[in-house]
Amino acid sequence: MTDVQLPKQKVHVLEGHAGAVLAARFNSNGEYALSCGKDRTIRLWNPHRGIHIKTYKAHGREVRDVHVTQDNSKLCSCGGDRQVFYWDVSTGHVIRKFRGHDSEVNAVKFNEYSSVVVSAGYDKSLRVWDCRSRSTESIQIIDTFLDSVMSICLTKTEIIAGSVDGTVRTFDIRVGREISDNFGQPVNCISLSNDGNCILASCLDSTLRLLDRSSGELLQEYKGHICKSFKTDCCLTNSDAHVAGGSEDGYIYFWDLVDASVVSSFRAHDLVVTSVSYHPKESCMITSSVDSTVRVWKA
Amino acid sequence: MDSDEEDFVFYGTPIEREEDVSSRKKKAVAEASGQLRTLPAWKQEVTDEEGRRRFHGAFTGGFSAGYYNTVGSKEGWTPQTFTSSRKNRAEVKQQSLFNFLDDDEKAEMEGRVGTSMQYDTFGFTSAELARKQAEKEQKQRPSAIPGPVPDEVVLPVTESIGLTLLQKMGWRHGRSIKSSHTDSLYNAKREARKAFLAFSFADVDAQPLGSGLVEDATDNIVDLPTDDGSQFSKKTPVYMLNPKQDLHGLGYDPYKNAPEFREKKRSRLSESTQMGHQDRVLKDSLFGFKSGRVAPGFGVGALEDLDVEDEDVYASGYDFEETYVEDVEEPSRPKVENLKMLDRKAHDVLPGFSAATKSDFQLERFDPPVIPQNFVPHHKFAAPLESDNMAPNLPPHVVPPPGDNNLKILIEGLATLVARSGKLLEDLSREKNQFNPLFGFLNGGEGHEYYARKLWEERQKRNDQGKQQLDAKMPRKVQKMTAESRGQILGEKPIERSLRAANSSGISADAISLSSNLSDTFTKPASRNELLESAKPFQDDPAKQERFEQFLKEKYHGGLRPKDGSGASNMSEAARARERLEFESVANTINKGKLGKESIPPNELFSSTLATAGLQFTPGAAELAKFGQDDGIATTSMYPKREEFQWRPSPILCKRFDLIDPYMGKPPPPPRARGKLDSLIFLPDSVKAPKLEDDVSGDRRHSRQEGHIEEGKEMVDQEIEVDAEPENIERPVDLYKAIFSDDSDDEAETSNQNVAEDPQKKVEAVNTTLNRLIAGDFLESLGKELGLEVPTNMPCLENKTSNPAKKDTVPIDLTEKNINQSANGTSSTSDAVGADLPDPVLAVGNNNQNISREGRSPREGTIDINSRKNGGRGTGTESYRDDVKKNRFETEAQTHIHAKAKGDQHRSKNISSSDDEIDRKGRRRHRSRSPAGDASSDSSEDYKDRRSRSRKKRSSQEKSSSKRHSKHPKHRRRDSRSPSRHSRHGSEKERREAKREKRKYKD
Repeated sequence: MTDVQLPKQKVHVLEGHAGAVLAARFNSNGEYALSCGKDRTIRLWNPHRGIHIKTYKAHGREVRDVHVTQDNSKLCSCGGDRQVFYWDVSTGHVIRKFRGHDSEVNAVKFNEYSSVVVSAGYDKSLRVWDCRSRSTESIQIIDTFLDSVMSICLTKTEIIAGSVDGTVRTFDIRVGREISDNFGQPVNCISLSNDGNCILASCLDSTLRLLDRSSGELLQEYKGHICKSFKTDCCLTNSDAHVAGGSEDGYIYFWDLVDASVVSSFRAHDLVVTSVSYHPKESCMITSSVDSTVRVWKA
Repeated sequence: MDSDEEDFVFYGTPIEREEDVSSRKKKAVAEASGQLRTLPAWKQEVTDEEGRRRFHGAFTGGFSAGYYNTVGSKEGWTPQTFTSSRKNRAEVKQQSLFNFLDDDEKAEMEGRVGTSMQYDTFGFTSAELARKQAEKEQKQRPSAIPGPVPDEVVLPVTESIGLTLLQKMGWRHGRSIKSSHTDSLYNAKREARKAFLAFSFADVDAQPLGSGLVEDATDNIVDLPTDDGSQFSKKTPVYMLNPKQDLHGLGYDPYKNAPEFREKKRSRLSESTQMGHQDRVLKDSLFGFKSGRVAPGFGVGALEDLDVEDEDVYASGYDFEETYVEDVEEPSRPKVENLKMLDRKAHDVLPGFSAATKSDFQLERFDPPVIPQNFVPHHKFAAPLESDNMAPNLPPHVVPPPGDNNLKILIEGLATLVARSGKLLEDLSREKNQFNPLFGFLNGGEGHEYYARKLWEERQKRNDQGKQQLDAKMPRKVQKMTAESRGQILGEKPIERSLRAANSSGISADAISLSSNLSDTFTKPASRNELLESAKPFQDDPAKQERFEQFLKEKYHGGLRPKDGSGASNMSEAARARERLEFESVANTINKGKLGKESIPPNELFSSTLATAGLQFTPGAAELAKFGQDDGIATTSMYPKREEFQWRPSPILCKRFDLIDPYMGKPPPPPRARGKLDSLIFLPDSVKAPKLEDDVSGDRRHSRQEGHIEEGKEMVDQEIEVDAEPENIERPVDLYKAIFSDDSDDEAETSNQNVAEDPQKKVEAVNTTLNRLIAGDFLESLGKELGLEVPTNMPCLENKTSNPAKKDTVPIDLTEKNINQSANGTSSTSDAVGADLPDPVLAVGNNNQNISREGRSPREGTIDINSRKNGGRGTGTESYRDDVKKNRFETEAQTHIHAKAKGDQHRSKNISSSDDEIDRKGRRRHRSRSPAGDASSDSSEDYKDRRSRSRKKRSSQEKSSSKRHSKHPKHRRRDSRSPSRHSRHGSEKERREAKREKRKYKD
């Protein structure tokens, strides 16, 4: 019954990247999509019409993550060049480059007000950069991680980050505490449920784990896909009814949130699925893969 | 002096000093008398009547804006009276060109616009002039041709203005413009200036419409050119003698700065025609180049001129003249000469040699190879598929196989077939199976891409094989060795794409797996690997076997070492260490066995070693396997494990997130202890009760925060004691800190100051120190009783995680009594403690006694806790929070204890204070016992509470808690606040009421 609603129809194939696409993200209202990849570019798409809008070039190495502000005016991206780039969307110019990470930067996110950029790096640190001042120094460095930090989520008051040391750490700015949830397995990617109560963490033992944020309980585990060596994203559907995740064999899996059964799985890409992003409102999904395409799926 | 002077005798008249006649005057006079007239003009000085130099300054010969001669004041300019620009401001000055022109320029400007002789570069007018001159001269001199010479025959030279000017300056043809002598340079300049002036006037004069301004000046200058005229009229124009013969551009003179070469060249040219001319030329050249003989050893810098000093005085006169300088400007000439030489070569190459008539050099010629009869000039390829192969140069994309396994097999099979037998087969099968859906891939259906790829691969494979066969066929050629084949020979393993280091993410995993693969690659191919592969001591546990292999690899290989793989990551440190030891021993035994029996096949070898050494490690292995299982269980039960730490966001971060900094105004936090010790100590607890972890760490953090609060409290309490009765001293909540940390110094200091302030405080100080001692001892005894090991210097007590201890069993029914007791207690406290007051020494004595009686105290303490807790303020956690909140309750609790202590004479106030410590500890314990489900909401509420509290504190107390930390403000505050405190202390109950109300309000 719910199966029908899942986006399984390929609507568009967004081609243009010259190498593996490492991340594909919807913007905050789902109108546009951003992708970035090993060809050192960031591309802006209209996924609903399958149009390539703009290409952002300035990175010297692969771009691993990209995020756009709520008002779609600024971009931030990061990657192999150890810097966080802060872009102007319309002009395509780099406004600022935040330097400070000691090695590759894995993930980057804006906060709600787009006043800071939080980045997570291979150097085991999380850094917060101020967009409002002209300083390019980080305003906060969180280095309690024991290994590379892979993914970030931000709420209004918290910074949540998943690391290869197996922890998902929540830094509550309002209270001033750090909550560390240790999964015992390297965490690849985390994503927040739409109600903000749960964290879905993709672990490298080919398991997605759903964590209750308030209690730290493990609510569910989702298995069936392959995730052993690549950073494959996972996300919850817009209704929080299902869990979507990419697999290294090019499949996309859908699990039922509650009973953890595989509702659907289909071959979306020929090669490893690197990123899965779900439309915030509609039943629409974009996936990116190493096969240099971004695909748009709709119900 | 005067007397001395008187002794001298003066003869004659002293020479009169001419003060009035200055030396300048003399000089002027002398000059006037014509002494200096003999000097050349440029050496004469212009002086005024006083004999002062008229012109001086930076440019000799120019004028200077000095003070004496030019302007009227020392400052340089005539002072003017100040005129305000206020009235005539904003006056736009119309500037015109004339403002900047000199008088003569103005005159020119006003005059007509036309060509002037001065700028007659092409020399038409000068040609005209020259002709007139020539005519004039002709009349004077006797000529070979009588009568007027027609213009066509004798054309006077027209010279450009530049040339004329130069000639007027004294320059002659064949001479360099730059004079070697500075004097002559100076001279030339002067000449030029003069000439210029003269010329310009002459020009003006020549114009019939010349302005009247210069008219008067003309007559004395007009004769000037005529004077010079005789000079240059004598000259024959050089230009006529030198018709242009070279290939240079018009006006380009290669010998401009080196005229000696011109002569040289000319001499060379004329040499061929007339030999007698040479002498003259040489003379000419000598004449032409004034300082021609340059000393051989001394170079002249690029910026220097040839000077008199550079002339070679000792030169014989012809050494360097004779040196032949090849004319670079004429490249064509030597070529021609070379050709001539070649021509001449045929006849007689060198004097004394004659060309050979017969040479034995012969060009060898070879016949073309004989083409065999049956040769067909078309190339046939070895296999027909080769030609097919030429087309698909680019390999198709790597395409994953289609989902259908049957189809995949079919595709692969067909691909191999087609590759083997050519494209014809493909066409055939396509025709045959045109309507077979299974063969849709041939017509671009499903799996077509995969088919294309497979076909390509097969062809490649066949190609390679073919090549290899070809290679094999060629016997002489050395077989080409590829990297792969070399690797095969050397035993290298190709780097595989299999990424098994799964403990890290995509990229890092790449790196790790690469490193491991590399470590695989750069190893000996030898038998050891096989040995190890066959030697599987941990066959029952594949994970462990894998680890063991990894271990061996690391042990023998060195090189890049990845971090522990995922297998070992979930093992504890201890287990890993144990396993490592295990592996070491196993590896040793294997090695020994190998050394002993080299020839025995590895399997056998291992079994034998197993037989011999089996006992050594098999039990361990079994145990370890069990351990691993335990670990596995642990991992499932352990994760996800939650921990809480204090984390301090930077103020700017809070600002950017639009949040209030939770640590606003607090001192910077101490560096978080991330020691191994910490985690090791807590590990068992967390394993046993993972849920508890939350509370525990929460508490830990909590206590730290309380530290601040309690310190404040403490101080307040001390005030109370001072003023009312030294009943008890509030201890800092951090017992460990109180005992071991440097805080004691702090305390000591305060007590010292107290001594100075108040004699009563001495007592307090003594008590304080004693308390500390007692507390320490008491802790130990308490620990014993609880069955805990109390390390002497370990922060064990700071962690409030202790096991759910015996205390849990404290009977609740006791509380009923205690409620009553506490009710009574409050009223009776003052009396009881008041009695203690007069004799502090006794109190100390009591304390000492009490130390020995500590055994009893804990239980009492705990009872006390429960009673107070339940009796005092309703229900569990709620009351707890209240406790933390307000220290007043502490004092209340203490009074309660004292009420009890009334009966027991040995128990003094000091014990009570240490009781209080237990009390608090107990509460903490209670806290950790609170149900897990409750915990989260509880804690969050707690945070809220704490925040509000801290805010309240901030406002009510003196704003900065940093002050609270520093010692001196503490005292100050104490003094200032003590009266109010005192008064408040009296009405305990009232305050409690107020507190409750406040809470209600808050809620």
